[in-house]
Amino acid sequence: MSIEIRHLHKRFGKTVVCDDLDLDIADGELVALLGPSGSGKTTLLRVIAGLETPDAGSVRLHGADAASDPRGRRVGFVFQHYALFAHMTIFENVAFGLRVRPRATRPDEAMIRKRVHELLALVQLDGLADRYPHQLSGGQRQRIALARALAVEPDVLLLDEPFGALDAKVRKDLRRWLRRLHDEMHVTTVFVTHDQDEAMEVADRVVIMNHGRIEQAGTPDEVYDHPKTPFVLQFLGDVNLFHGRFGHAPGAGDPQAEHTGVSYVRPHELQVLGAPEHGTLAVTLSQVLTVGTQARLEFRRIDDGSWVDVQLPRSEFAILEAKLGLARGSRAWLKARRVTRFAAWSDGDPAVDPAAMI
Amino acid sequence: MSAPSTPVAGATAEPAWVRRTLIGSALVFLAGFLLLPLAVVFVEALKKGLAVYLAAITEPEAVSALRLTLLAAAVAVPTNVVIGLAAAWSLAKFRFRGQNVLLTLIDLPFSVSPVIAGLIYVLLFGLQGWFGPWLKAHDLQVIFAVPGIVLATVFVTFPFVARELIPTMQAQGTEQEEAARVLGASGWHILRRVTLPNVRWALLYGVILCNARAMGEFGAVSVVSGHVRGVTDTLPLHIEILYNEYQSAAAFAVASLLALLALVTLALKAVVERRMARAARLAVQAARKDDVAARGPQRSNAVGRPRRSAYAQAGGAAHHAPIGGALAAPAP
Repeated sequence: MSIEIRHLHKRFGKTVVCDDLDLDIADGELVALLGPSGSGKTTLLRVIAGLETPDAGSVRLHGADAASDPRGRRVGFVFQHYALFAHMTIFENVAFGLRVRPRATRPDEAMIRKRVHELLALVQLDGLADRYPHQLSGGQRQRIALARALAVEPDVLLLDEPFGALDAKVRKDLRRWLRRLHDEMHVTTVFVTHDQDEAMEVADRVVIMNHGRIEQAGTPDEVYDHPKTPFVLQFLGDVNLFHGRFGHAPGAGDPQAEHTGVSYVRPHELQVLGAPEHGTLAVTLSQVLTVGTQARLEFRRIDDGSWVDVQLPRSEFAILEAKLGLARGSRAWLKARRVTRFAAWSDGDPAVDPAAMI
Repeated sequence: MSAPSTPVAGATAEPAWVRRTLIGSALVFLAGFLLLPLAVVFVEALKKGLAVYLAAITEPEAVSALRLTLLAAAVAVPTNVVIGLAAAWSLAKFRFRGQNVLLTLIDLPFSVSPVIAGLIYVLLFGLQGWFGPWLKAHDLQVIFAVPGIVLATVFVTFPFVARELIPTMQAQGTEQEEAARVLGASGWHILRRVTLPNVRWALLYGVILCNARAMGEFGAVSVVSGHVRGVTDTLPLHIEILYNEYQSAAAFAVASLLALLALVTLALKAVVERRMARAARLAVQAARKDDVAARGPQRSNAVGRPRRSAYAQAGGAAHHAPIGGALAAPAP
């Protein structure tokens, strides 16, 4: 089912949490709402679910204005802390949505039983029907919460930080699992996260939010490769920031440099060289950290003393170290493979400047 | 709360003499102030023989007092369950202006002397009171009659249920209710199938404390009763009258009846506590077993065990409960 959000406003007291939001979500899409805490992403999700009433604007589900009461919306909602019914068995938790239906549409006991076991099989927890929520691990609870939400055959599935409370390993497994599940079921799904990896890995489309506004919406590749705003660029991974055009100190000769605003280069888009070239930056190495397969190098600029981070595969670093004799304090030159620039005075218009691709 | 028999290393390891002194003094205090009076009640009650005892508790006035006490409790407890539930629900699940004022007001019956509570009703419904003329015109009597006693009992026992429920409901938040709503449950369904089951032990605990106080209440009831023997005497009032008439054996006999009611309440409370503790223990065991099998170390202990607050509350509430309440007070 498609979701159309138009001119949505919501404030809590004096804080504006949704500021004139417009968003279209297509039928069967898997969308991530990504943003830092306080960006309004959870509120937007709750408005779609009908758990919050917008101050202005509309939410249309499949072309029709959404019912004011969440009961009529046919949405499934998975809460961050699962919100399983503590006093009910897993079976009863999953069956709840079927049991509370009006008598006319309520399935009979055999049907409920069948449906619940199907769902438990789907989330691979069929053996746990008689347990209580507190007897389950976090990952298991999360899957039960999902089964419970799916039991009512929702048109839209909404998940609030679905993996937020889980440890890293379980989280990774569940992410993949959710992706596969969505591919099988094709139910329109929206999930909230503050973890960019999670959003990029799972979603068809990522909606990046900040201060109650949508900064950019697009496929993971689009938002990563063509960020529309500095916020998007900085939120989706680490980035080095250079005032003026990269490779020129501000005001140093190039008349254009003074107007080019801020340049951004991701740490892995910097190349370390042993000798200066056109458009390189002179630096000294101050620290090396190796984490897993990555080496993180911290350089200090000779001209203004600011820090520059470089990231490269560990194997590459080993070669480089041998070739250039890199050690703490040794001189090197950095060359950007790709620079993203935003004009300092404009908030919008991206400028991934081909000319700046040195 | 029970001290571990083997000393634990670290900050909790006290020298043996400190532990013995503390435990010993607690036991002596308990014996002197709680067990001894209770024993005295029964000894004094039976001092003049079983016949006198039986006569004292079967005389019409005693039976009438017992009936009135049970009636007052039978009205006060359900009333306060409904009102307490509504108050706790609105305080714990919604945010609104004046919330703290309401929270403070709920405690009013605890902070006001029961005598004043009784007096309020006399001033409201008595002959010279605000509603006195109207009541008289309609031939209704509240003060010095059964309705007054019930009203006063409801007033002084009001906070127990609400006080017990509020922390439990606050701890549980509104997520489960929201989940139920999204799943299509009606308000009534949510209350009956989600909220009430989640607070059932806290509710039962509140009911028990409320009942203990309702049966034992003296001050407020004494003011509004008018002491019409056989009509407006509750058990505590009847005991006082007998005692003032130097019928001490009869007074203690009836007192033993009240004490027995309190003991039944106490036993009920112990059963409830044991069941709550067992549920919690089972949960912990299951969680441990699961830990070995599964990998996830992340396990919330918040759900399914709303009990801590109740223990903490019991001590506080007992201060205000003179007779039944005091007996039904701090268990381990």
